[in-house]
Amino acid sequence: MNMDKDKLKSPMDRRNFLRTCGSLLAGGVALATGGILATKMKGEEGDVFWQIDPFACTQCGRCETDCVLPVSAVKCFHANKVCGYCDLCGGYYRPSVKDLNTAAENQMCPTGAIQRKFVEEPYFEYTIDENLCNGCGKCVKGCTSFGNGSLFLQVQQDLCQQCNECQIARVCPSDAIKRVSYKDAYKLKDHA
Amino acid sequence: MRRRVFLSIFGILSCLMVMAEARFPKPDFTSGYEYPNISHGVPMEQFWNVLDIVLLVGMMSLVVWAAYKKRSRAVIYSTSLVSVGYFGFFRSGCVCSVGSLQNVTLALTDSDYHLPWYVLLIFLLPIVFALLFGRVFCSGVCPLGALQELVNVRNFRLSRAVSSALTTIPWIYLAFTILYAATRSQFLVCRLDPFIGIFRLGGDLGMIVFGVILLIMSVFIGRPFCQFLCPYGAVLSVFSSLSWKKMEITQKSCINCALCDKSCPVDAIHQPQSSKTKESRSTGVRRIVLMSILLPLFTIACGILLRQNSDALSRAHKDVYLYELVMAQQNNPDMDECLEVETFNAMGGNIDELKAKVEKVREDYAFYATLAGCLMGFVIGFKLLKWSLKRSRKTYEIDSARCTMCGKCFNYCPQNLTKK
Ligand code: SF4
Ligand code: SF4
Ligand code: SF4
Ligand code: SF4
Repeated sequence: MNMDKDKLKSPMDRRNFLRTCGSLLAGGVALATGGILATKMKGEEGDVFWQIDPFACTQCGRCETDCVLPVSAVKCFHANKVCGYCDLCGGYYRPSVKDLNTAAENQMCPTGAIQRKFVEEPYFEYTIDENLCNGCGKCVKGCTSFGNGSLFLQVQQDLCQQCNECQIARVCPSDAIKRVSYKDAYKLKDHA
Repeated sequence: MRRRVFLSIFGILSCLMVMAEARFPKPDFTSGYEYPNISHGVPMEQFWNVLDIVLLVGMMSLVVWAAYKKRSRAVIYSTSLVSVGYFGFFRSGCVCSVGSLQNVTLALTDSDYHLPWYVLLIFLLPIVFALLFGRVFCSGVCPLGALQELVNVRNFRLSRAVSSALTTIPWIYLAFTILYAATRSQFLVCRLDPFIGIFRLGGDLGMIVFGVILLIMSVFIGRPFCQFLCPYGAVLSVFSSLSWKKMEITQKSCINCALCDKSCPVDAIHQPQSSKTKESRSTGVRRIVLMSILLPLFTIACGILLRQNSDALSRAHKDVYLYELVMAQQNNPDMDECLEVETFNAMGGNIDELKAKVEKVREDYAFYATLAGCLMGFVIGFKLLKWSLKRSRKTYEIDSARCTMCGKCFNYCPQNLTKK
């Protein structure tokens, strides 16, 4: 470097100068972007969690098929406080059942995830076994059409991978899936 | 599995709104039945996010130390292992810095979107490190890069011209990523992420196949995704080429043995070259003038080109797609109703409202497509210009824009073998 300093001086200096300018510019850009984005946060919690608006969902069935997980992170939830505890449950029985017994072929749920327990005459309690539920929404459709609408689909947060973009939200025909912040991590029906 | 904390929800309020629409009355139990308490698992958000950031900074600092002080590939290789294990398989790759590009775009363009603090940091920290020390994030912290790094054994080289030409793809990808994120159409990077399926051991079959093909390619070519696709890598390369410190192959003097050149998996080592014919001042000036005409011309041309196609591009937006389906249905009532149209009608959708929305989306598209086109045009023009310039170089040097700091060249340089 030393020996040919004279010869290289001007182009080298120029290059270094340009590079320093570039670095400063880049630093400025990074700083400005950071600053602008920081003001955008406004101290509020970010929108991270994907949630279904149960009142907008039309039970199209895509929640079962489009989640990135092999078995969807969307599960059927049950709002007991809304439920009528009916014997003839629109979510439990298929619409065309001949005799009201709990045989599998009479049940709406393809995986047998809905459990039914006798409470007292004439009430039955329904519980969802989330390990079996695949989020197909068949029971939800039945309950919403014929019952109180106490069954609803929701993203189960400890299964959900919190994809940066929910693959179901992309294809949901009723635009029911939105990002929410931590404090609204669950949109439930009995809380509404 | 994710650790979780259980948030118990004790709902005492029975909501009037819901009661109003109930078909069956609320049962009045006489047997003392009590409503069950149902608890739903909530991910322990803060804890894991803090750990992510701590590890991000920690591992990047470790790589800086390994690359500048210890000069050891072994350390970098170990951080790659940790990254694939933790950020990749355990955290299943979401949110990653590459994808955070989209969240940041959304935050800048959509005032309704609240950017989570850690996504901002995941986006910004690698850039800050790149500005200081080069692409340390790519080195051993990015799970996507680390996965390719770990399987790489051979370096079959593409010709320099081809590989340089291919490095414009990330910029085109970036332009489309910004376009689709800014218009709230989709997160392109997330959809086309080739390795997420591998990290999650499941997912879209097409993407898994693509990921496996890329991985097999990475065995023979260094980091094909990083070199020829990654849009975040493209952003980092700009900051890295202007970085404060630059990594060196050896701290002693280069003896031009050419061994390091062969070791680099991403073709980031420049050979020495001398420009024998020193260009005269007038050709230099002429070139600068040409440059200042050509570059804006190229930028504007590409901007216009994309703007003209913005209506076609806007079909990626859900509303536009729905609108076209509804219109097609109206023009041809015999057509089978698809689910989208069926839902739209069932929910009493208003076609005029939808049309107004679509107009708005198309306006957005016209604007952002122009922007994206300009970005593409500028980058392509800039690259062409760079290739037309020939810098003279005396020794083998690292191209800090492309170097992903894997540290392979350290071990190849004979100067590094002798102790000081
Ligand atoms: S995709 Fe949408 S409409 Fe269909 S079941 Fe899921 S939330 Fe409901
Ligand atoms: S965010 Fe991902 S994991 Fe969660 S419901 Fe949507 S697709 Fe499934
Ligand atoms: S019918 Fe479908 S949504 Fe309802 S419980 Fe069974 S699997 Fe879950
Ligand atoms: S180039 Fe992209 S994918 Fe590769 S290591 Fe860097 S950020 Fe990750």
